[in-house]
Amino acid sequence: MDERSTATEQLEARVREAQVAGGGEQEFMLDVRTQDMEVNFGPQHPATHGVMRVLMRTDGELCTGAQPHLGYLHRCAEKIGENVEWLQYLPYTDRYDYLAAMNNNLGYSMAVEAVLGIEIPRRAEMLRVICAELNRIGSHLIAFGTYGLDIGAFTPFFYAFREREWMQALFEKICGARLTYSYIRIGGVFNDAPPGWLEEVALFCDTFEQKWPEYYDLLIENQIFIKRTANVGIIPHDMALDFGLTGPMLRASGIDFDLRRDLPYSLYGEIWKDGAFRIPVGKGEKGHLGDCWDRTWVRMVEMMESIKIVRWCLAHIEEGPVLGDLPKTLRVPPGEAYVGIENPRGELGHYVVSGGDKVALRVRVRGPSFTNLAVLEDLLPGSLVGDAIAIIGSTDIVVGETDR
Amino acid sequence: MESGTNAFLEVLRMAFGDLAPGWVLVLGSTLLAVGGALTLIAVNALFATWLERKVSGHIQCRFGPMYVGGWHGWAQSLADGIKLITKEDLVPRGGDRTLFMFAPALLLAAIFGAMVAFPITPQIYFANVDLGVYFILGLSALTTIGVVMAGWASNSKWSLYGAMREAAQVVAYEVPLGISLLVPVMVAGTFNLLDASAEQSGWYGMHWFIFRNPFMIPALVLFFVASLAETKRAPFDLPEAESELVAGFMTEYSGIRWSFFFMEEYAAMLLMSAVAAVFFLGGFESPLTHFANALWGDKLFVTADGVTSLSLAGLPYHLAAGLTLILKALFGVFMMMWLRWTLPRIRIDQVMTMGYKYLTPLSLLCVLGAGIWEAIRS
Amino acid sequence: MDFQGINDRLLVLHAPGLLGADEPRPPDPADKKDKGRSGDPYVLVDPQQLVPFLEVCRDDERLRFELLVDLTATDPAVDDEQLWINVALLSVTHRHRLSIKCQLPKADPVLPSTTPVYRASQWHERECAEMFGITFAGHPDPRHMLLPDDWVGHPLRKDYEFPKEYHGISCE
Repeated sequence: MDERSTATEQLEARVREAQVAGGGEQEFMLDVRTQDMEVNFGPQHPATHGVMRVLMRTDGELCTGAQPHLGYLHRCAEKIGENVEWLQYLPYTDRYDYLAAMNNNLGYSMAVEAVLGIEIPRRAEMLRVICAELNRIGSHLIAFGTYGLDIGAFTPFFYAFREREWMQALFEKICGARLTYSYIRIGGVFNDAPPGWLEEVALFCDTFEQKWPEYYDLLIENQIFIKRTANVGIIPHDMALDFGLTGPMLRASGIDFDLRRDLPYSLYGEIWKDGAFRIPVGKGEKGHLGDCWDRTWVRMVEMMESIKIVRWCLAHIEEGPVLGDLPKTLRVPPGEAYVGIENPRGELGHYVVSGGDKVALRVRVRGPSFTNLAVLEDLLPGSLVGDAIAIIGSTDIVVGETDR
Repeated sequence: MESGTNAFLEVLRMAFGDLAPGWVLVLGSTLLAVGGALTLIAVNALFATWLERKVSGHIQCRFGPMYVGGWHGWAQSLADGIKLITKEDLVPRGGDRTLFMFAPALLLAAIFGAMVAFPITPQIYFANVDLGVYFILGLSALTTIGVVMAGWASNSKWSLYGAMREAAQVVAYEVPLGISLLVPVMVAGTFNLLDASAEQSGWYGMHWFIFRNPFMIPALVLFFVASLAETKRAPFDLPEAESELVAGFMTEYSGIRWSFFFMEEYAAMLLMSAVAAVFFLGGFESPLTHFANALWGDKLFVTADGVTSLSLAGLPYHLAAGLTLILKALFGVFMMMWLRWTLPRIRIDQVMTMGYKYLTPLSLLCVLGAGIWEAIRS
Repeated sequence: MDFQGINDRLLVLHAPGLLGADEPRPPDPADKKDKGRSGDPYVLVDPQQLVPFLEVCRDDERLRFELLVDLTATDPAVDDEQLWINVALLSVTHRHRLSIKCQLPKADPVLPSTTPVYRASQWHERECAEMFGITFAGHPDPRHMLLPDDWVGHPLRKDYEFPKEYHGISCE
């Protein structure tokens, strides 16, 4: 309060001086420098996709500086990894990227399996891929719905969640949970699919394939949406590589790289060789290559590619065991491994160090949202506040993964 | 035309007659008229919130209110109103208390003033304002001051953003709003709502302005788009941009003060739709009114002791005419709601570009074209 | 290229700071205590020469590691004298990965910041610094990343004592 009144008084005094001097008012008006406003974008804000704070300096509507502040959702996941047993750590992995929990489970399990050096039963691999891809669809649906909400379109959010409800119901049938599954475990998957589950997944695929063009036309091809997102937040080729971006953010900038095809893990190498899916790479269709529209487009098309992967698995799945034989208290031989998988948001890496004990020596989680978010510091300055919202939304971050 | 307040005056005279002196009756009738206008605003807010929730619900594949009151939750807005009245009266610390409390009042006062020029039926109205639509547009522009006041007094930078955007947006779209309205005003030859409506009688009530001039349809579209920007409805809802600014200039408001903002928003929507209905879509004229006029048109007035006054026998005509205008206005309101839930939001600089660079020249072209057309025809 | 190929290429280029490589091996039958080492191979690099080493990795035609995937640290044991720095690199052009390990003395963990080579390491180094107490010399923005600005201690060290209270809030 005091600061403001002093500034106002000072301003008034200067105006009075200029008026008394006569003719000086012209020069005074040219000299008036308005202060940049420092606005706190978050931690409580509908558009930051979680508890994140971006300290923005704005000159009116133009953003002149941005500083993301993280840590509001830091839950010490890495420290916990050094204090609980290998199998006990699995529920914690669900909770970093809670929108794509299956992929987190998969990443951690694969990292530990790399140190253990064990083989996964084939049916387990099939179920893993089906669940991971279904969860990718669910995560991209949220990205699509909430991005529409950020841009101001209220309705696609409801349609996206209607489809996501079905996906969550499917997961509830197979593992009992709707959001944090702990389904994909070290050595395989926890539970076999109940009878009728695979048929319902096929039905989901068919229905979703019919709905997808409607959502695409409603939001992605909407002229106002294009005006809001095309040519906004352009990430050029070199910047994308320098910042270590991965996932849809990298592909939208025209870089053709996907871990599922290029450094294949699980069954993806086989699925790719069968020609079942393709990798969408941004083409700069509506504006400059690497803008927000391209990123949203990549995510939309990836949903349809995931449907194709799921269909391939449904066609090739066979009966068999789903969980390898592992002791209740797992002791992992000494060693270390880094395994990176393609999360819906980018490369999710788990670096696991074992000392031969039943508790890990180090569990490092490389969250894609954390690395992808760093690009905001360079993208936001120079854009309008409305554009800042569009850019933050297009990075599709989950603060659980940013902060762990 | 008889002065509309005389309708209230006659009611009082019938009720109290010689019990009170003349000036008391006149004062009473004025208060009744004021109460009537306020009731209209309040009832419209109640109905419009219910309609908005149902429309948004069905567009989003859900039902909207279904329980409160029984049939499709019609009493939901009543329940919400009761809840809002019982809320704590908060004024943000550091905010300007006087301005904070005054802003919603100013908003409502401005829209109330504009509502006074809104006729119920061709013979029942609060005031027969000769300036009509000019008066309505001018008063509804006053609401901007209230919004900027609200944004500033909230002591929140986000509210300030909303207020600044509102000021820029409304100023930009006042121009195409007024200019596109010149097209029907030219054809009608009057600003007065009642006279303009009466001009459109004929062809069994379908001799609407929109059929008289090829430039009427673009003028209507321009007017509709500009009115969306004036009433801060999506896709121009930047001042209250929910996902960017939480609630923009309304963020710090709660309880009954917040409901004042929404009463004003829905009243403005109704007014703009009603103005469009009167000046483009025939106002009170429709086949229904035409036949009602044929049957009850001569029973509207009754003369007794040399004093002409409204007669109760003409009630069906009043119902037909009133219903026509209300339905047309509500259709416009429905269109506004439909657009809100379908389209995303336009960015502020794109809003300004659209207003100044596209809508204004287009509306000027419409006026020019309409004028030339009228000159050629006559 | 596989790890052998990458290692050979680094040797051919005389990559600065390259100290050696470590590959997984089965347990030594002669030594009962040795359990072997499983998992990934990595190269061992001198931390003070990490920056030129990363430049070679990034710029060489056959290596072309454009992406810094991860830069983190590990505290192997309470009584171990050393901290590890673990860097993971990825090449988009050649589709191969590399894991790098550097060993720093726990008493004085200082090394030059790798931000001039990869912009991505800026945030990773901030997190490393606050969690392990490592100083990255020349870092452009050495603020706390995830922890509050006034947090005392380095949580991911094995000898970390959790504080009893923080700003009046009990942490028991």
